[in-house]
Parts: sequence; C-alpha cells; structure tokens
Amino acid sequence: MDVFIQTMVSGILIGGIYALVGLGMTLIMGVMRIINLAHGQLMMVAMYITFVLYEYFNIDPYFSLLVSMPALFLLGVLIQKYLLNPLLRIESIIPQNQILMTVGVAMVLTEVMRFIFQSDYKSVKTPYSSAVLYISSIAFNFPMLIAFGIAMLLTAGLFFFLLKTDTGKSVRATAQNKDAALLLGVNAEWITQLTYGLGAALAAAAGTLLLPIYYLYPDVGGPFTLKAFIITVLGGLGSTVGAIMGGLVLGVAESLGATYISMALKDAVGMVIFVLVLVFMPGGLKTLTKV
Amino acid sequence: MKKSTVIVIALLFSIGLFLYPASAQEAIKVGVILPVTGEKAKFGEIEKKSFEMALEEINAAGGINGKKLEFIFEDDTGRPDVARSAAEKLITKDQVVMLGGGYGSSETFAIANVAQESGMPFLVSTGSDNKITEQKWEYIFRINPPVSDYPRGLESFLTEVVKPQTAAILYENTNFGSSGQKEFQQTCERLGIKVVMAEGYQSGGVDFKPLLVNVKKANPDLIYMISYVMDASLLMKQSMELRLTPKVFVGGGAGYTLPEFQKNAGKASDAVFSATLWYQTLPYPGAKEYYDKFLKKFGMDTEYHGAEGYASAYVIADALKRAKSLKPEDVRGALAATDMMTVFGPVKFIAYDKMTNQNKLPTYVVQWLNDKLELVWPKEVASKPYVYPIDWEKVWK
Repeated sequence: MDVFIQTMVSGILIGGIYALVGLGMTLIMGVMRIINLAHGQLMMVAMYITFVLYEYFNIDPYFSLLVSMPALFLLGVLIQKYLLNPLLRIESIIPQNQILMTVGVAMVLTEVMRFIFQSDYKSVKTPYSSAVLYISSIAFNFPMLIAFGIAMLLTAGLFFFLLKTDTGKSVRATAQNKDAALLLGVNAEWITQLTYGLGAALAAAAGTLLLPIYYLYPDVGGPFTLKAFIITVLGGLGSTVGAIMGGLVLGVAESLGATYISMALKDAVGMVIFVLVLVFMPGGLKTLTKV
Repeated sequence: MKKSTVIVIALLFSIGLFLYPASAQEAIKVGVILPVTGEKAKFGEIEKKSFEMALEEINAAGGINGKKLEFIFEDDTGRPDVARSAAEKLITKDQVVMLGGGYGSSETFAIANVAQESGMPFLVSTGSDNKITEQKWEYIFRINPPVSDYPRGLESFLTEVVKPQTAAILYENTNFGSSGQKEFQQTCERLGIKVVMAEGYQSGGVDFKPLLVNVKKANPDLIYMISYVMDASLLMKQSMELRLTPKVFVGGGAGYTLPEFQKNAGKASDAVFSATLWYQTLPYPGAKEYYDKFLKKFGMDTEYHGAEGYASAYVIADALKRAKSLKPEDVRGALAATDMMTVFGPVKFIAYDKMTNQNKLPTYVVQWLNDKLELVWPKEVASKPYVYPIDWEKVWK
C-alpha cells in the first residue's frame, strides 16, 4: 500500500508541473491555432534566468518567478510580434509556416544558451532542495509540494483572468472565432501577442519551479516540448481544463507505469494513454467536462 | 575543347591530387569524433581538451617524424546517425589517416561500422559496450576496458569487505546500461549474491521515486547503478529523500566519478562507491602530472575519460611514428603492435574472452569522502581508507 500511495503522490506532484507546461501550450494553440514547438525551450530560457539570479545574486528560485515570468512574457510578446505575426501576412504554400518558425525559434534559443553557458549541467542547490515531509512513511518532497501549490495558484489566476476580466474574455472570444472578435472591435493582433506572452510566462513558471528539483542544460527543452504536446492533445486541443487534467493524467500514468510495469517504459506508458484517449475519446479529456 | 583534351586535363588534375598528400610538410590528419554538444557534451569536452593538450605536447616534441600531427574534431552530438555521417565525412572528405575518439557506445558502434567497412583504423577511446570489439573487426582497437570489466576491481572489494547477500541493479536502458547490467548480474551469480531486482530506466527522468520505492521494498544489501551524471545525481538525491538505506550504493563508473555528480547531488553523493578505471594517484608515469596540468590549464577537474583521451592521443602518435607508411593497412599494423605505457596504464591490444584488439587493464574502486573522490580499493594503491559500514542517517544529516 505504501508503494502505491508513494507512487500516486509522486505522480500527482509531477503532474501539477506538467499541467503548467501544458497550459501554456494549450492557450497558444487555442488562440493562434498553432503548436508552439518552442515551448520547452522557452521553459529552458526561464530556467537559465532563475539559475543566473540564484548563482550570481543569491535570489531564491521562488522569488525569481517574479523576474522570470515577466521576462518570458516580454520575450513571448516580441516573438509573436516580430517573428510570428508577420508570417500571417505572407501567402505561403504551407499555411502553418508559423509552426516552422517556432521550430526555428527553439533552435536559436537552445544554441544561444549553449553559446553563453556551454553545455555544462547546472543546478541550483537550495537548503530545502532535498527537504522532505514525512507523513507516516510517505515522503513528500518539499520543493515539489511548493511547485504543485504555486502551479495550482497560477492556474486559478489564469482562470480568473480568462473568465472574469475583459481582456481575458477577448482572449476567449478570439479563440472561439477570430473574425467575429475582430468585427466586435477586439484588437486581435494584440491578443495574439498577449496570449503568446502568457503562454511563455506559464512555461517560465514551470521551468523556474522545476529547477530546484531538476537540473539544467541547453537541450533540456526538447523533452518538455514533447510532453506539453502530449498533454495538449490529451486534454483536447486548446482546452485549458483539459490541459490540467491531461497533465495530471500523464504524471500519474507515468508514475504508475514506472512502479508497476517498468521505469524503462515510462514514456511508452504515457504514449499508450495518449493513443487510447485519441481512439476512444477523440475530443480529448475535455469531453468529460462541460467547460 | 576536344573531348580528349578534357580527359587529359582531368587526368593531370587527378594525378596532381594523388601527389598532393605526399608533399612534405603536410600535417598528418587524424579524425576525432566526440560529443561536444548534446547531453553527453560534458564527457566529450573533458576528452576533447585532453586530446588537444596531448596534441600540443606531441607537436612541441617534434610531431610525427618531423611532420605535424593534426586532429580534426567532429561532433557526434550523442546520436549514432550523426556519428556515422561524421565518420564518413572524415574518411572521404578530410582523408584522415585514422580515426580516434568515440564516446557513447551506440555512437562508437556506428563509427566502428563505417571504419571497418572503409578499412580505416579506429582507436576507440571510451565507447565501452562489449560488442564493439566482439565483431572480429580487425580495424577497430579499443584502449578503454569493456563495460563488463568495469566491476572487476569491485568484485574483490565486495567479497572481502561488504559481503552482500542481495543486490538491486538499476541501469539506463541503452547499449551501455544493459550491457553493464548483464555483466554485473553474472558477476553476482558467480559471487553468490542474489539479484532481487534489475530495472532499466529512461535517461533524463525528473522523478525516479516510483523506481526507488520498489527498490526500497526489495531492501537489497547492495544497489548497483549504471547511469550518466545527472541521472546519477537525481537517483542519489531521491534515494536520500526516500531514506533508502542499503549497505552500500555502488555506481558502475560513468556518471558517478564526475565532479558534476558531487556538485549536483551535494551531500547525497557522500559515501557512494563507484567502480572506476583510473585515478590520478595511480602509479602510472605521468598520471599525476597530467591531472595537475589539466587542472591548471582549464581550471577544472579531469577524470578517467580525460585520461583515456590523453592516452589515446599518445597511442595514435606512437602508432603513426612506427607505421611504415600512412596507408591504412600499415597504420593498422602499427596499432596492432602497440606496446607502450601511458597515463592511463599500459596499452597493448590483445584478444581475450570474445574480444579482439582490446586493451586489458585492472579497475579500481573509489568513494566520495567529504566531497572528494578518493581511491579506496585495492588497498595497496588507496589514497584514503574506505568508509564502511556506513551510517546513512549520519551521512545524510
């Protein structure tokens, strides 16, 4: 029983971070109808910001959320404004050339970071990095608990923004029908920039929260882009609630798979769930909800 | 222009090309393939720096019979397909006289395949999967002991000191990992240690706890892990979190001997044993000097991978000096006749077990003590006495 509970705890905690990664991508997909293949790399940039702040200015990783998120928001806005939006105006044989651009952005970000920081593995070692809370014999990793908590807070904040504020409503309107939103006076161009910025900021939060328990090198982004993509599809493309469920499901499935099948097949278990959901629930997990 | 004239001119050119490499003062080019980007870049970097350091010394001492030696480095990025095309490029475009390097086992295997097909001598410095030298490939030589030999030094330590009853083996599911796992399993059977669990895992994971809770349940005396450096740090950190307390944690080389392991795992690295192939205090001529020089020059530690690179460069130089000509066949002959002392130990290519052209070396046991890697076994060459038994609660406090 202990093994099972420990597995579930691990899965849910990591799932919270996955959800945060997935949320950003889902938001971008919902509004712009593109897969942001630079998502993990944006996360990587935020991790480097956090690392630098910790290493040279001794700023606690959780405080650096206040720097990394706005910084990545700005980077996201700039990418959307100067790299992605101009592509919309060009006639091209591939309508999705914005996606190709995100691949390019991902490569550039990775190589720039490699140029600055080399390929070395970095990690931040806070006094609480390995702090553990024991409830009977179940270990709760403290930084993971905090990360999970902050992830939930950010998600709640995002929902509040999307459901209750005017700008948030404009974002949803643009996602539902861009032309109609335009007709009703929504500044769609600004909304796309805002959305990409928000998506990048959420990725930044995930990166910053992950750093105390993980490590960092320029290529760290790739696997997370893939994870985000799985979560997004799992959740039903463009659905925020779906993305949260997708993240948790993926985290728990990976953990259960690792414990009861084999850790070597961890990713395979995630993929099997992915295929099953697509086959039996083509609309993704969002079809289970009414939102 | 008439067709015949064109042919004559073309012929002249091709003769010119033919003569060109033979002209004096042309540097002797050797291709070296290492991962300098990607996940394995850390190891590749240490090796590349060691190769470069050795190259400077070799050329300062007169090069290869008066000619300069030149290393052309190619990055395999840790991917076999890239390694393969890098090898092809070096052989056909750069026209190197031989190949060196080879870090990851899968990449090395890919390079070895190309080298053997094109009859190009290849001195493997690191790639340690047994099968690389088990193919009866006469052009492939390996300075590094095969992964199956890594725990040899460990064996005597286990039978004489730890005497474990049960063991769990954790390994990354790659060529390197599973080959090491199979071998260690056989070692355990031979020593009468019961393997209660052998689990592979995917490199780059965030959370190893699901794997570790199973280990905890099995409660082995010995946990043997075959991992690269960051997986190694996470495995130890999370073992500490779960209070997983076997008699000993033993790393099977690779990640567990790197300075980065200690830097990232912090106190979780303390008291961890590892098999290793080399240590700077070993009584090999130049070993300590190499270590000090590297530390001074680059301001960073080096370890066995670096020593392999450094020694490889000298073996390459030695073979090229002795070769009758720079034709692949002659270079191959010279390599096969190698019998020299390097910082990495004596190098001689022999056939044993199922392997050919394989260098045979003793292996050692190191332990992390007070944030420093110390050679603890065999006792005759130890730099510090080993710490055993280990009180984990005290170590992890």
